[in-house]
Amino acid sequence: MSGQSSIIIEAKNVDFLYSGEWETVTPAVSGISFTVRQGEYVALVGPNGSGKTTLLKLFNALLIPSAGEVLVKGISTVNEGMLPEIRRSCGMIFQNPDNQLVATTVEEDIAFGLENLALPSEEIKKRVLEAAATLGLEKLLKHPPHLLSGGEKQRVAIAGVLVMEPDCILMDEPTAMLDPAGRHAVLEAVQQLHRERGIAVVHVTHFPEEAAGADRVAVLSEGRLVVDGSPEDVMTGLPLLHDLGLRGTTAVELASMLRQDGYPLPPKILHDRELVDSLCSLEQNS
Amino acid sequence: MTRSITLGQYIPGESVIHHLNPRLKIVILVLVLVLLFLLETYSGLIFALALAVALFVLAGIPFSYLLRGLRPIFYIALFALIIYFFFTSGGVVLFRIGFLTVESEGVEQGLFIVARLVALVLFSLLVTLTTTPLSLTHGIGFFMKPLRYVGLPTEEVAMIMTVALRFIPTLMEESQRLMRAQLARGADFETGSIFRRARSMVPLIVPLFVSAFRRADELALAMEARGFRIGAKRTRMHQDVILFRDWAVLFFVLALIVLALNINI
Amino acid sequence: MFVGTEQLTHVYMPGTPFSTKALRDISFSFQKGEFALIIGPSGSGKSTLIQHLNGLLRPTSGRVIFEGKNIGRDKRDLLHLRRRIGLVFQMPEEQFFSETVFDEIAFAPRNQGFAENEVKIRVDEALEKTGLKGLDLKGRHPFQLSAGQKRLVAVAAVLSVNPEVLILDEPTVALDNTGRDNLFDLLTELNREEGLTVIISTHHLDEAAALASSVLVLKQGELVMSGPAEDIFSERDQLYNLGLALPPVNEIMHGIFEKGFSVNTSVYTLKEARREINKLIRRDKP
Repeated sequence: MSGQSSIIIEAKNVDFLYSGEWETVTPAVSGISFTVRQGEYVALVGPNGSGKTTLLKLFNALLIPSAGEVLVKGISTVNEGMLPEIRRSCGMIFQNPDNQLVATTVEEDIAFGLENLALPSEEIKKRVLEAAATLGLEKLLKHPPHLLSGGEKQRVAIAGVLVMEPDCILMDEPTAMLDPAGRHAVLEAVQQLHRERGIAVVHVTHFPEEAAGADRVAVLSEGRLVVDGSPEDVMTGLPLLHDLGLRGTTAVELASMLRQDGYPLPPKILHDRELVDSLCSLEQNS
Repeated sequence: MTRSITLGQYIPGESVIHHLNPRLKIVILVLVLVLLFLLETYSGLIFALALAVALFVLAGIPFSYLLRGLRPIFYIALFALIIYFFFTSGGVVLFRIGFLTVESEGVEQGLFIVARLVALVLFSLLVTLTTTPLSLTHGIGFFMKPLRYVGLPTEEVAMIMTVALRFIPTLMEESQRLMRAQLARGADFETGSIFRRARSMVPLIVPLFVSAFRRADELALAMEARGFRIGAKRTRMHQDVILFRDWAVLFFVLALIVLALNINI
Repeated sequence: MFVGTEQLTHVYMPGTPFSTKALRDISFSFQKGEFALIIGPSGSGKSTLIQHLNGLLRPTSGRVIFEGKNIGRDKRDLLHLRRRIGLVFQMPEEQFFSETVFDEIAFAPRNQGFAENEVKIRVDEALEKTGLKGLDLKGRHPFQLSAGQKRLVAVAAVLSVNPEVLILDEPTVALDNTGRDNLFDLLTELNREEGLTVIISTHHLDEAAALASSVLVLKQGELVMSGPAEDIFSERDQLYNLGLALPPVNEIMHGIFEKGFSVNTSVYTLKEARREINKLIRRDKP
């Protein structure tokens, strides 16, 4: 997205320190400055314990910075009176779909956030039906969540955020516990919302292929922002990724091996298709 | 494994009884239970029992559930029968066992009490079998509302009940999984002394608690992230509306009660 | 037949309105020393099936065979069986209950009635096999370990009775790259060096694909494909339709193949891919 689009989330030199004995093992984040603009898709990667989840929680005012400031649409998250608006604007999807569904039926769960906003029941019904249709959940409305598949549960969670008409969806490894079909369905749904409604996405992920599809990739390590750039730049920087115990996409990894073997492959190969095409033209020209 | 666990006793169905407004169902149940205590004749009670059975048929609930529902009160009923048979005097002496006598008054009263108990259980069972736990919770929540004026946070209590209903199947599934995992490592929950068996439960209880607390933690976070705040005003998607049909059923039941009380006289 | 089933059917909650057929008429057999995979989308019956293999569930009908015998008649038999067939559950570290790593690993040998000095030897052996011996973890609390170490301790807790068959349910779920690599190195070694029969249920084919000798594919409780790994993996379209994805590196090889180059497509690791591509491009040059 262009530089002129408005800023949804702005972190200014943010520190966060966990206090209390339970959390002492989790590193805090420190000195993070970061922005998410309207309609942007940002992937957040980093090894376990690098502060990705903490950062997401700071964006949603579940945590308040120890130093520095997080602004959501210009409102500081310390502003307690504005919490409902901040959370409406930036919805969150967690890793374990089992622990974020509250109600005993799908439709009541999708409605949960709207009920918290105290909207009239007709309005809630209308929005729940719309969101369910967008995510293909019409037939599951009366089902109890524990009978759904993992992918379905995550789509219910996304519908629960979508009904709030958010500006941004924050996702903490939403596909880590899903099978390939479930993962595909969830990613597809989020990308559709991103494309068609211009909803910004911050996506924490372990899968290099998922990060490669973003507009921007930010890498965290030990609570600090190490790199922040285009996937072509960040995901192809193998020495740094390997240092942190991360990987590039399969195409990046294979291309790097083949370059070592002396093949003149172009430098910024990121996706399967690009590698296949370059290899084939190489073979044809030889 | 997930699909094998269902919650409570609810039997899905499409009968009139299933679709009755849960609040009215609770009101009617209370009326019927009061009526059962007012009934003093066999004919009235038999009428009530016949009505209960007819309603089970109407709701399409298999008789096996009816019998299963009565199982827990079997010993209470037996105990009541013994007490009444042997310790109530009056009427004709039917027979003697040693110094104990069984007299007709006792037999009559004993059977009457047990029949009333069975009727109480059947009508309550009918409501729990035809109402989803969630609707029941909301129904009960509605009648708790006045308690807000004595300081009880009724909205929060209702939310806690809903969340508990949501997580009971998850935790049941989890405990089953834990048990199997420990069995796979050679644990034995079934043989040995009570002490031994109690000790063999430790490997289940520790992880179950750890996971329950972790889940509770994450759930609280997710609820907060979705804008839930204690004490804040909320609305409901489904305001439970009482339909004309519901009123009709209520009047019908009232009519039956009047009829039953007349049979009583 | 070493391990397998004959017309195995399993119904959960039979005789109630909620009865569900989790497995229908499953017949298969694995040989001793195999590295077998059971794959299928979530809810396809994988977990149910592997729980039958060590007698945790009883067939509704059909038989479960180990070394030619129908298993699981009396309880003493079952204890014996579970010593020979070890089962590591999904997210096994969530089932830890002991104060120390030592006690956690000692649980199974103690249940088998070994004397305490023998138990000690078993625990040491298990730590040795899983490569944790040098780390001096025995006295540590299991919750203090890293995610990857916890998973290895969970495997050690099953290896401590020297099983002949090791079954793992979704062993890599929620592990990062390093954790996954360590686990698969261990499984490869156990299978190749120690001759252990390894059976993995998974929907994540990446690392497992290259190691597999036999594969079963389940869908909604039915066995839809079974046979040698190379035969199953060559049915890419069918796997894709079942919601299963072959490793990304395989996609690249197929991409090259589809462009008309005769390259071996039974490739599941980067190393193999590198070799195959080198073969292809260097083929016609001296």
